[in-house]
Formats: sequence, C-alpha cells, structure tokens
Amino acid sequence: MKLWETFRYELAYQSRNVSTWFYSLLLMVLSYFMAAAIFIDEPLAGGYFLNAPFVVAKVCLITFFFMGLLVLAQFAGNAATRDFETRMHPLLYTTALPKSVYLGGRFMAAFALGSMVMLAIPVGVFAATLFPLEHPELVGPLRVAAYLSAYFLLILPNVFFALTFMFAMAVLSKKGILTYLIAIIFWVIAISSWQVIGVQEGNWTLANLTDPIGISKITELKKVWTANEKNTVLPGTQTAVFDNRLIWLALSMGILLVTYVRFTTGTISERKSKKKHLSIPANPISFQLTETVPIPQVQQRFDFSTRLLQLLTVGWESFRIIALGWGWMAMACLFAFVLFTGPMWFSDYHNIPELPVTGNLLGTLENSKDHGIWLVIPLLIIFYAGEFVWRDRDSRQHEIMGVAPVPVWVSFLGKFGGMVLALVIMQLLLMVAGMLVQVSLGYYDFQIPVYLKVLLGIRLADYVLWAVLAFAVHVVLNQKYLAHLVAVMIYLFALFGPEFGIETRLLLYGSDPGWSYSDLRGLDPFMEPWLYFKFYWGAWALFLAILTVLLWPRGTEYSLQNRFQQGIRKNGYLIKAMAGISVLLIVISGGIIFYNTHILYPKTGVFETLEWKAEYETNYGKYRDTQQPSVLKTKLLVEIYPDQKAVDFEGTYTLVNKTGSKIDTIFLSTAPGVSNHLLRFNKPVKAQMVDEALAFRMYILQKPLFPGDSLKMEFRVSYEPQGFPNSGINTYVVKNGTYFGDGWLPTIGYKKAREIYMPQERKDLGLEPKPILDPDMETFEQEWIHFEAVMGTDKGQTAVAPGKLITSWTENGRNYFRYAAEQPIKNKLGFFSSRYQVHQAQWKPDSAPVVDIKILHHPTHTLNNQRMAKSVQASLAFMTQAFGKYPHPELRLTEVPGYNKGLYAYPTTIFFREGFAQLKPDENPGGVDIVFATVAHEVCHQWWGAQVSPAPVKGAALITESLAWFSAMEIIEEARGQKEFYGFIEMARDDYFSPQEREADPLLEASQHSIIYRKGPLALYALREYIGKERLRLGLQNFFNRYSNGTSLPFPKDLYRELQTVTPDSMHYLLHDLLASNTFWELKTENAVASQTPSGKWKVTMDVHARKYTVDKTGTQTDVAMNDWIPIGVYGLPGKPKADEPLYMQQHRIRSGGQRIEVEVTGKPGLAGIDPTRLLMDVERYDNVTKVQGRQKR
Amino acid sequence: MQDETILYIQNVSKSYPNGVKALQNISLTIPAGMYGLLGPNGAGKSSLMRTLATLQDPDEGSIFFGKIDVLKDKEEVQKTLGYLPQDFGLHPNARAEELLNYFAVMKGIREKQARREVVEALLKQTNLWDVRKQKLGGFSGGMRQRFGVAIAMLGNPKLIIVDEPTAGLDPAERVRFLNLLSEMGENSVVILSTHIVEDVSELCTRMAVINKGQILMETEPLKAIKNLKGRIWRKVVEKNQLPQLEQEHIVLSTKLLGGRTVAHIYSEGFPGNDFEEVVPDLEDVYFNVIAQHSRNNVSPSMQEVAK
Repeated sequence: MKLWETFRYELAYQSRNVSTWFYSLLLMVLSYFMAAAIFIDEPLAGGYFLNAPFVVAKVCLITFFFMGLLVLAQFAGNAATRDFETRMHPLLYTTALPKSVYLGGRFMAAFALGSMVMLAIPVGVFAATLFPLEHPELVGPLRVAAYLSAYFLLILPNVFFALTFMFAMAVLSKKGILTYLIAIIFWVIAISSWQVIGVQEGNWTLANLTDPIGISKITELKKVWTANEKNTVLPGTQTAVFDNRLIWLALSMGILLVTYVRFTTGTISERKSKKKHLSIPANPISFQLTETVPIPQVQQRFDFSTRLLQLLTVGWESFRIIALGWGWMAMACLFAFVLFTGPMWFSDYHNIPELPVTGNLLGTLENSKDHGIWLVIPLLIIFYAGEFVWRDRDSRQHEIMGVAPVPVWVSFLGKFGGMVLALVIMQLLLMVAGMLVQVSLGYYDFQIPVYLKVLLGIRLADYVLWAVLAFAVHVVLNQKYLAHLVAVMIYLFALFGPEFGIETRLLLYGSDPGWSYSDLRGLDPFMEPWLYFKFYWGAWALFLAILTVLLWPRGTEYSLQNRFQQGIRKNGYLIKAMAGISVLLIVISGGIIFYNTHILYPKTGVFETLEWKAEYETNYGKYRDTQQPSVLKTKLLVEIYPDQKAVDFEGTYTLVNKTGSKIDTIFLSTAPGVSNHLLRFNKPVKAQMVDEALAFRMYILQKPLFPGDSLKMEFRVSYEPQGFPNSGINTYVVKNGTYFGDGWLPTIGYKKAREIYMPQERKDLGLEPKPILDPDMETFEQEWIHFEAVMGTDKGQTAVAPGKLITSWTENGRNYFRYAAEQPIKNKLGFFSSRYQVHQAQWKPDSAPVVDIKILHHPTHTLNNQRMAKSVQASLAFMTQAFGKYPHPELRLTEVPGYNKGLYAYPTTIFFREGFAQLKPDENPGGVDIVFATVAHEVCHQWWGAQVSPAPVKGAALITESLAWFSAMEIIEEARGQKEFYGFIEMARDDYFSPQEREADPLLEASQHSIIYRKGPLALYALREYIGKERLRLGLQNFFNRYSNGTSLPFPKDLYRELQTVTPDSMHYLLHDLLASNTFWELKTENAVASQTPSGKWKVTMDVHARKYTVDKTGTQTDVAMNDWIPIGVYGLPGKPKADEPLYMQQHRIRSGGQRIEVEVTGKPGLAGIDPTRLLMDVERYDNVTKVQGRQKR
Repeated sequence: MQDETILYIQNVSKSYPNGVKALQNISLTIPAGMYGLLGPNGAGKSSLMRTLATLQDPDEGSIFFGKIDVLKDKEEVQKTLGYLPQDFGLHPNARAEELLNYFAVMKGIREKQARREVVEALLKQTNLWDVRKQKLGGFSGGMRQRFGVAIAMLGNPKLIIVDEPTAGLDPAERVRFLNLLSEMGENSVVILSTHIVEDVSELCTRMAVINKGQILMETEPLKAIKNLKGRIWRKVVEKNQLPQLEQEHIVLSTKLLGGRTVAHIYSEGFPGNDFEEVVPDLEDVYFNVIAQHSRNNVSPSMQEVAK
C-alpha cells in the first residue's frame, strides 16, 4: 500500500507543523466572532436565531471565503511543490513511485488535512451558541443537522474544489505561490457571480451555478427566505446547492485528470537538459586553454553618483521583474477588467445608460471596497515585496550579493522604487483603460487632471504606504509564507477595522477618513483631513523603512537579534537621527489628528449616539405630547461662508397658540454641534431648564399664552465645525456644492426623531417598546409657515432658499438673495449654494398664473435640462387640472453633489444629484423616460406632501410617495402615451417582484421602500383598472380637497375611507386586499384550447388555477378563500395587426383552485388567460397567459 | 605598520545556536599569495570563509585586512573583496552579460565604457563570451562556477576568498580555473578552501589544515612534505588484512589500485620488510595531521606518552 504510506507520511509531516494548528485556531476564533458579533445584526433585525441553519451556513461560508481559501492555498502549495522547492525532487522522482501514488497520496493528504482544519469553522460557529456574547436571547434550539450539513454539504465540497484547482496549478507550474492566485480567482469568480450575475443581472440561477463557493446562493436565500424558513430549512439541502456541487465536482474531477495526465516526473530534468545542449558551444571551447585576456584595471568609486546609479540599476531590475512577471498579467487583467466591465457601470440604474463622467468613473476605478478585484493590487504588492526580499536567497545568489559593497538602503530603496514605478505604470494604464471606456461610450471630456489627482495622488499614496509595510513585514518576520499571511491579515484589518470595532483610524495602517469626488464639489472637504492622516502614516512609513533597512537580511545569519545588532552597528547616526525624527513626526502628527478627532470634533460634530438618544427620551419623553405653540412665520438671515465651511443663522419664529387651551411652558430642542448665541422671546420667560448636553430647554412663560395669542422668538445660531472625525466627514458646507436642511435651527417641542425606533436597540437600552414611527416625521415640520429669508454667500455663487426669489444684490463682496413664500409652505426647509448656471423655462397655462421654472445646475451638466423642464410643465398642467393649482410662482430644481440618482422635494425646490443629471433616458432599452418620470414624481410632491401632508405615523408614505408615483404614472400616460405608461408599469413590477422576502406590512402601514414606491402605485393602478379612472380620480380629489387646507393631518386610513366611498361594494374586498392586507394571488392558465363553432366563431376553453393568500410579518402564509372578480382575456395571434387589442376581456368570478372557463370570440384566438394584464400581485406573473391550442377535429 | 595586503585573524570563535562549535579560537596571518585551507567536509572551512567574507560575525576574535577592521567596517572590505561561495545559484532568468554588468555596477564601476571593457574581458577570460546572451538558468555547473569567478574578479579585488571552487569542475575546467586563481594571487590575498589536496599542492605557497573548527597545522606545503620524508611507507594488502594492519600501524590512507588495497602508513622507523618507502606528498601530510589529531582526541593518555 504505497499510496497509504505516502498519504500517512504526508499527513504526519504536515500535522507536526505548528502553523497547521495555528490556522485551525485562527479559523475557529474568526468564525466564532463572525457568528457572535460581526453578523449578529442580521438575525437581530431579521428576527431569527444566531444559530439558525441559515446563519450557520452563511457564517461557515463567509469564514471559508475570507480565510479558509488562504489556508488551503498554503496546504496545496506545500503538498504539491515541497519536494521541488527543497530540491528533493531528483531523489523522489527517480524512485519507482508511480505518479498516481505520488500525486494521489499528496492530494489526499492535503484534502484530509484541509478537511480537518476546516472543521474548526463549524466548531467556532457552534461556540457562538455556547458563548453568545451580547445576545444570549438569540440562541435558538440546537440543531445538529445545521452544523453537519454546513460542514459536509458546503465546506467540505468547497475544500475539495479549491484544493483541486490549487493542487493542479501548483503541480503543473511547480510554483507553490500560484495556489494563492487560485484563491484570488475563486474570490473574483464568487464575487462576480454574486454581484454581477446575481445582484446586477438578477440571474440568480446562473449565479448559483458559477459560484464555486456558494456565497451567491446564500445571499439570494437571505433575501428570499422568511425568518421562519431561515430558522428551519437547511441551506445545504437545496436542490440548487446540489446542482452547484455537481457541476463543480465534475469540473474538479476533470482538472484532477488533466493534472494526472500532464504531470511527468521527468518534465523538469528534460527541460533543463535541453537547455544545456543549447548552451554548450558546438566545439568544446572549455577544454582549450586560450590565451589569457588581460583584465583592465578599473576605478571603483563609491560616491553619491555611484549610489544613484546603483539605485537606478536595482530599481530598473526590480521593475522589470514585475513588468515581465505576474505583474504584467495582473496589469493586463485589471486593464481588461476595466475595459470590459466599465461600460456596464454606466447603465446599472434600471439599465439606463448614463454619461461616463470622469468623477463617477473614478469611484469605481480607484480601489474601492465594492469590487473584490481591486484587492489584486495590494495582494500583488505583498507578493512582490516578498519576492524582492527573498529573490537573492531563492535563487541562492545571496552570498554573492551579500558581499557586494552596496549599502542596504540602496538595495531597499531600489527595490521599493521599482515597485513604485510599476504601480505608477499600473495607475496610468488604468487611466488609459478608463479613457477607453469613456471613448467606447462616446464620451470625450476626459478631465485628465481629475484622473491624475485620484489615481496618481490619492490612490498611489495608499499603495506606496502599503508597499512600505509589506516590505517591513517581510523583512521583520523573515518567513516568506507567514509574512504573506500576516501582511494580508494586516491589510484586511486596516480595511475592515471599523467593522471589527476599531474606530480610531490612528490604529489602522494607511487609513484615512474617506473621500469622494463630485464635479460640483471636487475633493473638498476631504483633502485636509486626508493630508493629515497621510502625513501621519508617511511618518510611520519612514519609521518602517528605517526598520526595514536595519533588519534587512544580509549575509547568512537571519535571527532577528543578530540582524538587529548588525543593523545597529552598521548604520550610523544619520539613520538613528532619521528614526528619531520619524518617531517625532508620528507623535506630532498623531497628536494633531487626535486633537482634531477626539477633542475638537466632538465639540461640534454630531454624536447622536444610541445612549444619548435613550437619555433624551428617558428624561424628556414625558413632554412628547405636551401642547406647544405652532410656528406661523419664519424669518431668516442665512450667511454661508463656503471657504470656512461655516453658516450663521439669524432668525425669528412667530409662534401662535393654535390649541384650545393656554400654554405656559415652551420646550425647545436645539441642534447638537452648533452654537446658540441667542435665544430670546419677546415676552418675559424664565429659563426653567437648559440642558446643553441633550440639547433641550424648557422656558416658563410668566404670563401663559392663551389660545390665539402669539409670541416671537429670536435666535442666532452658528454652525462652525471644528476638527474632523475618523470616518464620515460631512459635506454640508463646502467650497462649492453646499446643501443643508433645517437641522441646525432650533425647533419647538420635544423632538421625536431623536427617539430610537429599532425594537432591539430599544430593548437593549431598557426603553419601552413602541410602534415604529417614520423617524423623519415631526409635528414641527408638518406646520404651515409664512417664510422669508435673506441668504448671503460667496461672490460667484447662487444661494437658494424656499419661496420666490424677490431680489439679489452684492454687498461687501458677497452675493445676497431675498426669498419669500407668498403662500404658506410646509416647514421643511432646504438651503443651497453653488456656482450654478440657470436654465429658465415657464409654464403658461390659460387659466392660472404663470410659473417660472428654474433649473440650477453645474455648467457642464446640461443633458437633461430641457427634459426636466418639460416634465415640470406637464406635471404642473396635469396636477393643476386634476387637484388644484400650484400655490407658488416659482419652481426650482437645484443640483447637489453626488453620483447617485436621488431627488428630493422641498417646498418650491427640488434637488437632484449629479448622477441624475448624467442619465441618458433616450437610450433606455425599456423605453421609459426615467428622468421625465422621476421629475414628475417630485413635482407631484408639491401636492402630495407639500399640500396634503400626512400625520406622522407608520404608513404615512402611502400618502406622499405612493400617491406621488401614481400621479406621476398618470402624467406619463397623458404626456407620453400608453406605450411608455405600460413600460413604466412593467418597470415597477420588475422591481417589486424581484426576488425578495414577501413578509411585509400592508400598504396602509408600510415603511419598506419597495412597498411604498412600487407596490403602492401598482395597487392604485390595479384599483383604477377595476373601478375606472374617473372614480379613482374622484376619490383622490375628495381626499385632496379635504386635507389640503392644512388644518388636519390625514392618516392612511383616511385615504382608504375616501377610496372606499368611490369603490362599488362588490369591489371592497379588492381594496382591502390591495391596501389593508399583504395579499398575493397565484393565477395560472394551465392550458387553453380553441375550437371553431359552426357559426364561425371560436370557443376558447381555459383551465385556470387560482389561489389567494396573505403573508404576515413572520412569513406565515395563510390561504384566503377566493370568489374574486378577475379579468379573463383572449387575444389574437401575436404579430397580427391589433394583436394588443383583446378579442375578449371580461371579469369573471374566480374561486380558489382549478376551474374551467369557456368563452366565445370572433376571430382566431392566439393567447388566452387569467388576469392577462397582470394587475394583481402575482409573484409568478408570466404564467397568467398561455398559447391557445387548436383542437383536433375528431 | 601593518601591510595593506595581509589578513590577520586573531582568536576567532563561533558557535551556532544548535551548539555546534564551528570555529574555535582560530588565529592565522595570511600574506599575499595563494593560501590553501584544507579540511574534511564539515571542518568549519565554510564558516571561516563566510566570516572572512563579512557574511557572518564571529562570537569572539578580530579580523583585519591590512588596516581595515573586517568585522566592523564591512563595506570597506567588500569594496576590495572577491568571494566565490561554495554553493550558489544565479537568477535563472538573467542573462550572463546582463548580470555581470549588474554586479559591476554594484561593485562601484561607474564608467560605462570601463564597465563594458571589464565585463567583456572577464567573460572572455572565463570563456563565457560566446554564451553571454544566454540565460543563466541553462548554465551547466562548470559554466556557473566560472561565472562566479568572473563576479569575484570584478573590481580587481585585493582579498579573494574562494570556497571549494573546484568541486563539480571537469579536469580541464579545473586546470583553467586554478591558473586563473594563481594569476590573481600575485598581488592579492587569495584564500582557497578545499578538501582536494591537489588544489593546494599545485598552487599554494602556504596552507592550513582545519578540522572540527580548529587549525591543526599551518605551514608551507613544501616544508611539510620535507618534514615527512622517510616516514611514509606503503604496503599492498588484501582487503581482509586491513583491520590487522590498522591495529599494528598508523594507517594514513588506503587506496584501491587494480583491485587491491594500497595502504600508506606513518612510521618513524623501518616498519618491516613488506613495506616500501614512498616519497611523501601533500596528501600524506594532510592525512597525517588529521590522523594525528583524531588519535590525540581519542586518547589523551597516548598524547602524553607521545610527549
């Protein structure tokens, strides 16, 4: 049994290795923390156990993904190439050992070892059940099967697949390090399956097959499964998982076979000997004693210019090693990656293409966390740092090199410089790739300075810092593979430090508080903190570089102590002085940063921690419903200082007692982080309590305020941020592109938005449970105010506030703008200041006042101006006609920084992000003009939201968002026609029916995005089709008229009541199903057969199946007996003219279960089915209609 | 006044972390010329050579090359040092000319023209000129060795240390190589460590025998040979007679010759009829020293008797 012997020897050899057990421990600890701490939020929020089978499977897979692959790479590389690397192969390869035994034994041993070590993963996950840290309540019943299936069905096959590929790679290339390349390839495949095929393309079936690890399936299940399923079903036993395992098993087997066939023990020596023949000249010159060649006496010089030459020589040599080795491959791969995937990045918003502006491209091009492939560069840096440190020793040239009269700093700086040069070239290549992407999309405004700033400035600095650390780790540890592993771990730690609970970036090597670029804003305000941090890390890098020079392995003795003593002896005062300086710089710059982040920033930075909120609620929650005066009028002077990032407010609130009783106490919530210089009432008050820490005050009026009485409050507030945080620098006030809300102004009354609304967090902090409120909804914000403001800003900028622009002037080198709202507006204020260009348009109706439309935009963002203006005009026309006039003479759209596609409607002002301005809706394959539609939606908010504003309860968004989208749909229908209207509905359906959990609140109580924004308008559309356009319109008009006067705030049930009034009794069940419960239908036409009647008509017989069920918040499905009116439709043959026009369309009473329906039509039927226009909420909506079969005549 | 080209080694000791005493209190003074360091495998030759070549530090002792403190001022020594390690490799993907040029830069030959001339001369000298464009990975052992010599000779070194240079060379290459060395030895210190006696006997003016980290003998080869004159005898014996012979005489070496065993013994007087006197060579010197030393170590009592 030679195979057994080989296997046994190998296993015994490896298990004697301490590192094997170190890896086990590492995996166990990591999986424990993942289960007990890092991924705890998901079960916490989702309401399932931390030891639910789903969680066990997920944590196992993720640990395997992050750490397991690296460990396996080590095993596989070792098993496959140890003999070769220890130069033992001539001994072994010449024995009579058959290759099946040699390879088989090695592979099986590696697999056995891998399986054993990976056992630590489920053990660690299980440990989380025993020691659940902060959340013992999340431990559910123990299910052994969960762990067994996770290990045997998920991890073990993964071990096999990964090892197979790694082993094959290492055996065939004779290079152990390449197993890490396989690990990287696995990462890339898994991440692209999950992110690209799954998330972006929505093809989860394919993603599940292409993903060798199973991350895709688990993330899909996370969305699709209910809490109940997550608690009970084993992910490993899904058929999709079996399919995946089978495919990869087949692939792995194939790879093993190829390895077996291709592996020849003689390969190496044969190849070598071939070269030998080539290298020996035909006539054996070495036997002839040629005449001695005089060796010229040369001058050796060791001055600075020689050192420089040596530096350049080493550098160039090192660069060549990268450029001609794997580095070249990596560069080419990244280049190709950018080139081929780049265009996709610019159509990921509903598949709508957008302009590939450089700033947006860079977000992806620079090494951001979103794209796993960018890990390649740091990993390459680690790899080549190792290669350079070990190069002479690996080729056993170190003794010769060791006696060369070259100082260590020359070797180090040369190699380092070569690496930096390679990185520069890499970044330049990426720039070229980015520009090619732009060209391929027909865009030529390259903005090269922006490219250079980001790629060769910000990102290169990070890489260079990282390279220094990689060298230092390799030199200090002096163990190649261990150093690789340690360096990777340090990198991941620095990257995910905050996720591990380390907030202070002074401890995360190379890190900074983050940055982003925008056309409007540039890199402001991120660069100043960035520079501080990079200076600090630069000082560290200097220190590490000195350490590297000191400890550089030279000669033949490598113990750390030895190298340290030698280094100290060899290096003079200069290096010691530099070390001293670097430490000094670390201390000074670290001190400056610490002062900024820990002392200055907390003074003005907003730290609304959970504890702070809880204390606020505990202390002052009792005043939640105390009657307070309302704001009648707000007058403001807002001075923006973009360069200082500061704002001064001076203002007056006119308050009035609108309640029926007298008020003697006024509560005031100030904003944390601003200075309140003055708060003064025009009536005598006593400051009963001023709590600066919780930003809450209580004033007692000496004479109470009687109903109808008013009171003025003056205030002066300044926002002047100091210092900077470790993460999350805010971008409110910047040199260009300022936008902020009213959050810095004082508000009257207790602020409900400060309350914590996550149930678990409330429980943790000992707060009473409470129904979930929409946190944005404040009574104070719901009030109707008269508003006027003067805004001051830098010269050259335009400032925007609510209301109509009355005048503007320049004073003291600053621009001033006076705004006033002639009609009361909702008390939700937004302020803007930028160097805008203004696109002007007007809406001139026959019977209403003219409305000026202004689009304030970045000078180059002009693509959608016309379109947005048209949408505003169409929307104003439709809404005015349907519900009533727009109360203001002006409507503005202002652009704000950011490449997402967000818009937000303030009274009279709608802001849109830069990303929205780049969309090219004309090229939308779905045919929907998303820009037109979204702007219409925002304009509708000037009615739904601004004129009718709901009570601050859960479900309030039905009144604002759902109605605004429904109205926008009707605007599309009217302004752009039926085709685009249906296209838009289909788009909404695609969103709503994309795989996601079905457990949700009914619309009347919903807060979930896809319910409010997608199901809402779809439900209203379905209702419209049932009860008719006019009736629904009437219902909405009644609702609008009743609540638009601002005296009372409607609840969702008020809308429901109004809709009920206009809905026939027979359809009340439908209204209920659509809005008041989370109901789904399962409608299917199993077959449809047609036969011609003697009269020449066609009789169509359909077998349909129907089911109706509700899903509650825990995911439980309950069947509901059906007796519903559902349309039955028959259409002509597809492709024929008028195929869209139904031959038959009638409501039928449909029961639950199967049933046969017969209808007669004139004209040959092509398609037939139940609910053919897919009005009802049916997850499988494409089986409603089927092809009509012709009946064979007997 | 110390001579610029004399290597002074004083009381150098070195032990490795595993307890092996590689060098024990070694003191030598080595003048210009070829100097042979002879010893069996594992004697400490390479340890001494690496110490002299600045690659490792002794625990004790001092080494001076002329005025240069070899242990402290390594870079200064390196500027004038040529070193050929016992076992070395070369970057397999580099080409001969390219790598030699690289080393020339490292040795401080800055002028491009001078560098080119030196590289050309050395490649011609080591007979590698024709393969200068080839990758070093394809070089045979001999070619690699010669290339190592070329590197060692860059920059006209004054201190040349070659560790077991002839191992793996074919006879012709070996001759050629030794010629090269002796040429260099004319005004440099050339230390040649080897376990092949002929290397030393053919070239070296002075030599030392080292074993188990100690210098057993320091001498001039000719003098040592002369000292042994009349004390080396040989006898042709059957293999099975050997144990008996070893009991009766001090056997220095045995060699197979035409299937029979020729034994050399050491004897101050005439050992017997069946022995014939041989003219001693350096090999006999070497084996005698080693034998003597191991005898001394085995039984100190005998040593005393011998005195």
